[in-house]
Amino acid sequence: MEQLRKNKNKILIILIAIILIAGIAMIVIRGFNFELKYQNTQRVEMYLKQEFNVSDIKNITNEVLAGQTVMIQKVEVYEDMVAITSNQITDEQKTNLVQKINEKYGTELNADEIQIENIPHTRGRDIIKPYLIPFALATGIILVYVAIRYRKLGAVKVILKTAIILVVAEAVLASVIAITRLPIGKTTIPLAIAVYLLTLVCITSSLENKLKINAKKEEK
Amino acid sequence: MKKIKILTIILAIILISMVGFVGVYVKEQNRMENQVKDYSLLSNLSGERTVRLTVNKDSEEIIKDAEGNVVETEEELTDEQLAEKGYTKESVPNNSQEVLNVDNYNKTKEVIEKRLKRLGVQEYEITVDENTGDIILRLPENSNTDTIISNIYTVGKFEIVDSETEEVLINNDDIKDVSVMYGSTGTTASTGTSVYLQIEFNKEGTKKLETVSTTYSSNSVDSNTTETNTAETNSTNTNSTDANTTTENTTANESTDNTTNTENTAGTDDSSTTSEPKEVTLRIDDTEMMTTSFDEPMRTGKMQLTVGTSTTDTSTLNDNLNRASNIAAIIGEGNLPIEYDVTSNEYILTDITEQQVLYVLIAILIIASLGILVWIFRFKLMGLLSGFAYIGLAAIYLLIIRYTNVAISLEGAYGILVILILNYIFINMLLKKIKNQSKKPTKEEVNIAEKETFKEFFIKIVPICIAIVVFCFIQWTPISSFGMVMFWGIALIAIYNYIVTDSLLKIKADK
Repeated sequence: MEQLRKNKNKILIILIAIILIAGIAMIVIRGFNFELKYQNTQRVEMYLKQEFNVSDIKNITNEVLAGQTVMIQKVEVYEDMVAITSNQITDEQKTNLVQKINEKYGTELNADEIQIENIPHTRGRDIIKPYLIPFALATGIILVYVAIRYRKLGAVKVILKTAIILVVAEAVLASVIAITRLPIGKTTIPLAIAVYLLTLVCITSSLENKLKINAKKEEK
Repeated sequence: MKKIKILTIILAIILISMVGFVGVYVKEQNRMENQVKDYSLLSNLSGERTVRLTVNKDSEEIIKDAEGNVVETEEELTDEQLAEKGYTKESVPNNSQEVLNVDNYNKTKEVIEKRLKRLGVQEYEITVDENTGDIILRLPENSNTDTIISNIYTVGKFEIVDSETEEVLINNDDIKDVSVMYGSTGTTASTGTSVYLQIEFNKEGTKKLETVSTTYSSNSVDSNTTETNTAETNSTNTNSTDANTTTENTTANESTDNTTNTENTAGTDDSSTTSEPKEVTLRIDDTEMMTTSFDEPMRTGKMQLTVGTSTTDTSTLNDNLNRASNIAAIIGEGNLPIEYDVTSNEYILTDITEQQVLYVLIAILIIASLGILVWIFRFKLMGLLSGFAYIGLAAIYLLIIRYTNVAISLEGAYGILVILILNYIFINMLLKKIKNQSKKPTKEEVNIAEKETFKEFFIKIVPICIAIVVFCFIQWTPISSFGMVMFWGIALIAIYNYIVTDSLLKIKADK
């Protein structure tokens, strides 16, 4: 039984190591894949003078900006203006967009009067920065708690183990994101929080079990 | 009797679920309106103000004489008149080519970020185009957004200059910190509260201030100067300190009376003055805020300026506080190295569509239904009752989030999902433990299972609770939203399951 557990642990460690190495390699070679909102993009805005369905605009962009990732947003409180964002919008594509929108909504937009705006990218570290202190602070207090609660298992050992597991778990997540080319964006932070909480539950469960086993051994 | 009890609880759950999930609709002005409070959504779920700041490319025309000195003229001179006088006209850009570089673009971004934090903006995104210097700023939409925008791109050049020679004596580089404080003023019946802007100077600035306040002291000019009236500079937002001022809650009141202000035009009212004291002018972005001289040398390195007039009116006081906070944010975090213009300022809605939200809700509904079906299959009637309890918790949870004004960010929305999962795990643990007790458990056995579940579950999530409490106090709304959502959720899991789920199971067990 003990041997089986050790073998399982070995397999898990090897698997984690492979994921981490592959992740690092991917980050070095290709970097992370960012969501369109955080990339260098171009945007055109058109005043339609009426409410519209995003799906209708999507149909138009599918034709004009075929194969490109596109973000469509409503602008202003009356939602009668559309912002179309993509990695690149050429003058020709802009003209086509205007033409098709004029046809669809009966507007008289002039392509020459519509500018293509350049939107600079957001740096990954700027996305993560606001979350570092909360997580560091929470982790610090949690480490103090585990050191006290599980002192019978060795305070220093427990602190190190907890800290390493938390860091490794987040590193594995980052590696998986890099390998799978999952875009970094609005789902990344919630995902990181979910992994963080799940890891905490797993660590506590494991430590509680060890505490129980120790107590039983002491009883014997 | 027990059937009635169970039915009553289930009916109550159904009622709450209808309120929580659907709402309470009342006809108002020929349309049905939901009387249940709406969710408060943060910008990543609703929309955000997007502002584009572009490097100012304007130029200013200046006239120089033959020796290259700048000539100030009221009237506009024609080319012929200029040539006649030997003057030349030059076009000077507001931002010289030397300042337009990546370092200054990034410094501008940093200063704007500091100002945003100072102005209490807890959710923003800022990006800078290192080629053009354009800055895109995304802010949450609220009643303060416009004021914030107007403050963040102000250059914020603070200067104390000699009134006559225009020599710059102190500038932003000499400032350590700027803070806002208030205190009651006046010793008579007409007391009020004054708002102060306290400018704290750094080591270098303190030395300069001491020198300046000694040089420009009204006492140092002439011993015959007997009286200097304190007057308000009403032309600016910042007014003088009063001679009778006493500050509460402050430690720097020793410097309050050190500045004596005079109206720009009126000058001082001297009974036997032989010469005027030298004066300094305080400017922010070349706008004159006040002209003043000093009563005595200022050695504390702190200078207090009263903002607005002393008042007892809360609204005026708040206005003064806001004004002072804005000035503090502008000059307290350094000046922008580059002059910017707002070229685009619009509210852009989130790219998360209603259809996407609907898909997520359907997915949650399907997973929850399957989970409850698993309970029914494994635990029979107890599983069914737990299913009802689970739905009830979700409904109450959504109501609590709405009525406790928890602003929901995308992270907060995930928090809701985490709570639903945790509650499922809790009930599942409880049902398993009850089943382990016996196939037909008694009330006592349910009690034992309940105690064990509570102990086991909450001990396991203590670290999560710690993280949540920390997140609640973080001044970054996406994460504090997650903390608040989770806090109410875990509190509800404990209270609701203790009262409702356990009651239902105990009634069933007793039966």
